[in-house]
Amino acid sequence: MREAILLAALSLATAASAADHPDFSGTWERYPPPNEKADPRYAPTPIPDPPLKPEFKVKWDSDQKKLQQRIEEGQPAGDNYVHCIPDGMPAMMMGMFPMEVFQRAEQINITQEAFNQTRRIYMNQPLPKWDTVDPSFYGQSVGHWEGDTLVVETTGVKDYVTFRWAPHSESMKITERISLLAPDYLKDEVTVEDDHLANPWTWAWTFRRMKDYKLQEYVCEDNREYVSEDGSQHLRIDK
Amino acid sequence: MNLKFGVRGAALLLVGVPALPALAHHSFAMFDNTRSVTLHGKVTAYQWTNPHSYLDIDADDGKGGTKHYTMEMTSPNMLHRGGWSSRTVKPGDVVTAVMSPLRDGQSGGLLLELTLPNGTKMLPGVPNAQRYKITS
Repeated sequence: MREAILLAALSLATAASAADHPDFSGTWERYPPPNEKADPRYAPTPIPDPPLKPEFKVKWDSDQKKLQQRIEEGQPAGDNYVHCIPDGMPAMMMGMFPMEVFQRAEQINITQEAFNQTRRIYMNQPLPKWDTVDPSFYGQSVGHWEGDTLVVETTGVKDYVTFRWAPHSESMKITERISLLAPDYLKDEVTVEDDHLANPWTWAWTFRRMKDYKLQEYVCEDNREYVSEDGSQHLRIDK
Repeated sequence: MNLKFGVRGAALLLVGVPALPALAHHSFAMFDNTRSVTLHGKVTAYQWTNPHSYLDIDADDGKGGTKHYTMEMTSPNMLHRGGWSSRTVKPGDVVTAVMSPLRDGQSGGLLLELTLPNGTKMLPGVPNAQRYKITS
């Protein structure tokens, strides 16, 4: 009898916890959008420079100087978008356009409108070891719930798929703690660990729910822009 | 109609458009933002593609002939949020276009505004549009 009550209580608790997970489904835009001042309650934390080990920081610093010069000259920075290539992880979480979350108990997908980028998070599975997966733009992601927080771990991102031009290995691990700050505000606390970093690299993004927005298709099918040898950008108009 | 005022008014409307990026697909450095060129002529193509849409016009050259121009626009999703569709304009339409010309001298530019045959003025949602001077 006692066991039966315990079992019943346990199964109730399980059912309740499954139903109790917050629902992130829907369409989100990064907060604050341009031209809007952030409410301090929901403001994201700034993204610091990557805490690279000294042997990697020298090159990063010098590349940043070149990049700053390009920006001042009004020339393209040479990121993926210029070449019609999607962001990959973790950059897609700050992609240019809105994103949509599809949530099921066993899998959560996130699609960023820019380049139709989709990442797939498999729930309650062990994180594969990085050298057992084929490296990819979004890596392999697994997730689990810790209370109302979705914890997502990602590894196996191609070493040339970078965020803020920070070098990394395919063994890089990205841990995200995703939770609701309010019914319409989602926080994504990111921690990047990699052997190029002296210590973990952390920041947080905020997203705000969009009402009635439908993501649009984005196939990068006709890139007519190119950067010539002198570094300036041109347009192919002889189509 | 005062062109500049019209543009400013419409730009205010764009404030509500979600997620307009500070920097778009590229830097727009290839366009001369210190001046504009106004073209009047017949649309030959309207291409609804990523990363950019394009509008081609055979514009009056002022000598009784025409000259072909290719104008870059933003991406379809941004245009859509700004009220455009793939059917906003079609080949054969006679339109007036204002563009920032290409710096390298090719006959093309960045579309800043388009007046449709019915007189409707459309803005293509250029990021930081206020930085592009309309002088024509």
